[in-house]
Amino acid sequence: MFRRSDDKITTKQAAVFLTNTVLGAGILTLPRGVTEKVQTPDAWLSVLLGGCIVILVVWLMVKLSQQFPENTVYQYSRRIVGTIPGGFLSVLLIIYFLIIAGFEIRVLAEVTMFFLLEGTPIWAIVIPFIWVGSYLVFGGINPIARLYQIVLPISLFFLLLCFVFSLRIFEIDHLRPVLSEGILPVIKGLKSTILVFSGCEVVMTLVAFLQYPEKALKAMVVGISIPLILYFLTVVMVIGGLSMDSTVTSTWPTINLMRSFEIPGFLFERLEFPLLVIWMMQMFCNFCSFFFNASLGVSQVFGLKYRYAIFGLIPIIFISTMTPVRMMEVFSLGDAIGYMGIVIFVLVPVLLSIVFIIRKKGMKQNV
Amino acid sequence: MCRRPMLSLLLAFILLITQVGCWSSKEVEELSIYTGLALDKGELTPLEQNLEKKGSRYFKKNKITASVQIVPKKSSGSTEQQGGGGQGPNYVNIAATGDSLLEIFRQLSLRLDRPVIGHHLKVMVVATDLAKEQTMQQLMDFVLRDNDIRPSCLVFLSKDRAASTLVTKYEDEVPSIHILYMLRNHFRTSKVMRGVNLSELDGLMHSKKSYILQNITESDGELEFSGAGIIKGDTGHWIGTLGQQDVESIGWITGDVKGGAVKTYDKRNEAITYEIKSVKSKITTKVTEGNDISFHVKIESKGRLIENWDDKADPTETRNMKEAEKEFEEQVTRRVKSVMHKLQSEYKVDVAGFGDHLHIEKPQVWKKVKDDWDYKFSKIPVTFDIKLSITDLGSSAE
Repeated sequence: MFRRSDDKITTKQAAVFLTNTVLGAGILTLPRGVTEKVQTPDAWLSVLLGGCIVILVVWLMVKLSQQFPENTVYQYSRRIVGTIPGGFLSVLLIIYFLIIAGFEIRVLAEVTMFFLLEGTPIWAIVIPFIWVGSYLVFGGINPIARLYQIVLPISLFFLLLCFVFSLRIFEIDHLRPVLSEGILPVIKGLKSTILVFSGCEVVMTLVAFLQYPEKALKAMVVGISIPLILYFLTVVMVIGGLSMDSTVTSTWPTINLMRSFEIPGFLFERLEFPLLVIWMMQMFCNFCSFFFNASLGVSQVFGLKYRYAIFGLIPIIFISTMTPVRMMEVFSLGDAIGYMGIVIFVLVPVLLSIVFIIRKKGMKQNV
Repeated sequence: MCRRPMLSLLLAFILLITQVGCWSSKEVEELSIYTGLALDKGELTPLEQNLEKKGSRYFKKNKITASVQIVPKKSSGSTEQQGGGGQGPNYVNIAATGDSLLEIFRQLSLRLDRPVIGHHLKVMVVATDLAKEQTMQQLMDFVLRDNDIRPSCLVFLSKDRAASTLVTKYEDEVPSIHILYMLRNHFRTSKVMRGVNLSELDGLMHSKKSYILQNITESDGELEFSGAGIIKGDTGHWIGTLGQQDVESIGWITGDVKGGAVKTYDKRNEAITYEIKSVKSKITTKVTEGNDISFHVKIESKGRLIENWDDKADPTETRNMKEAEKEFEEQVTRRVKSVMHKLQSEYKVDVAGFGDHLHIEKPQVWKKVKDDWDYKFSKIPVTFDIKLSITDLGSSAE
């Protein structure tokens, strides 16, 4: 068997890993979030622009991580700014990952309870999810990456299939006029588009696991471009299919798009159910990424055994999932995660890079 | 795992008992699936009046009567029914009165043995007198929020009682499904509008644009798509109706014509008919320096002369053909102008998409006029340039 014990992943796997980390609940809510802010049909421009900014962010993270081969952010932050401040930054990052992990499961549970499993209690969805997730995370990065390689093509195929069928209600006029109010609304929309890319911070741990770290940049840019393209497609298809006004009023616009037409005679007459079921796997991957990164962080920061870290985090994730009571709170948590992402970005990669450059170039220190 | 056979057995057993079914599954035979929903002004049905006399009351103001069409009437006994030679219709309509749709549906549970479920709702019919009193937003709120009802459900209006459109005299037909399939005839005549589903309606309501919905009339257990009702955007109320011809003419203006016929009378007052093969329409917007808006609609159509009752005129002659074209053009122009008159002078609403064109072509101008668009539209000059060409004469050469 191909049993690898060296905890290394290939370049391709790394790209898939990043894609699966970023691509998650955002697909279901992004069109509404961004259209609410933009208020013109130019939302798709915001997505493209936001994606470009995120690629720059990823570039910075990769460059920083490449300075410390084989080291994750939890390890090199200590080397750059010292044990205590570095530990503090790592803990921030861990908390951030835990909150996103909880958020992803919560969104998944809410959608499933509303559309698929009416009457099933929320814990019956959340708890098995966390358990199965921990089983996967137990194996370390290799099994995770291999599972992702299986899941991603399936979920991509279904998402694209759904979009192809939604072409029957697509109207290009819904996307016009372009830039009717100038570039300002597009800039406003950036806020919510950058938010859907939150989670790309895993780049800072991922680079350490690469078999060929010199190819990291390529892998990560590919890994972030796939979700970028898909988010772009989603926004175009949803606004084109539903019109801007209908998108703003739907809680789950992407699902509403699928619910707006029926295909008699096709294998599935209603596409929202297969899409939701398949997307559940995608959200599972999403969750596992954050779970893995958080556990890895805990074990590296506190010197715990990796397995104990996983067990310790299970209840915390459960609490973080169940904390929001209302749906509105879940959505505002989503927004809050986006802002946290920005703060984390300033605090971790930017701050670390600045300190690193000062120490290396300015003070000629050997970090 | 192999070292602990007991543990693995236990695990397998737990898996076995958890995988046997859904948590809260309900058999489809035990549900009342409804495919049609009619909303009327609140008026107690005779049955309800009787029940109320006997003391079945709860606090309500009777604003709305909802009738649901449940199919099939009896799913478990359907085979026996067929053996008995098909007595009675294949569906059952059940109506209840109240103030909130969900409350009415739950109230139905007091009368039904199987709970109603909206997964297969295909058609909604709203009575115009109800839409005059309540806004469309109020009436659609529940169906848009509900998780069972899909936004693919189509919405219609009815000038009479909406509940009567869910009745048919044909035994093995379900009226709501019949209505759904009638929409396919859009390719035969544009008097059949493209169906408006809930998500489209949601967008229209949110954008505050005025719009039209197909009207259904019923007589003696037969249904007909007859014209359309106008819903005013800023109020959400029904304000009037357009005739069949008007609906077709709006199709000509928007270019949404897949087929149909234009009949007119020639100079000897004999009928000649033009079969539409294609219609292309282009609306152009003109804005002068003084912000005066005007529209120009250029319509081009191709078709064939399919019926000619005038045996004195030989259509193969180019002169006669040109004449016929002229007559058809005049006819279409007359119809289009008549609907424009209705929209601009009578109802003062824009339901033919002129506003959308202005929005797309001149967004800056649109921003200034969008708040009171319907009124401003009624003052805007619209010119037409209609060109019909007869490309062939069918299989008869005379």
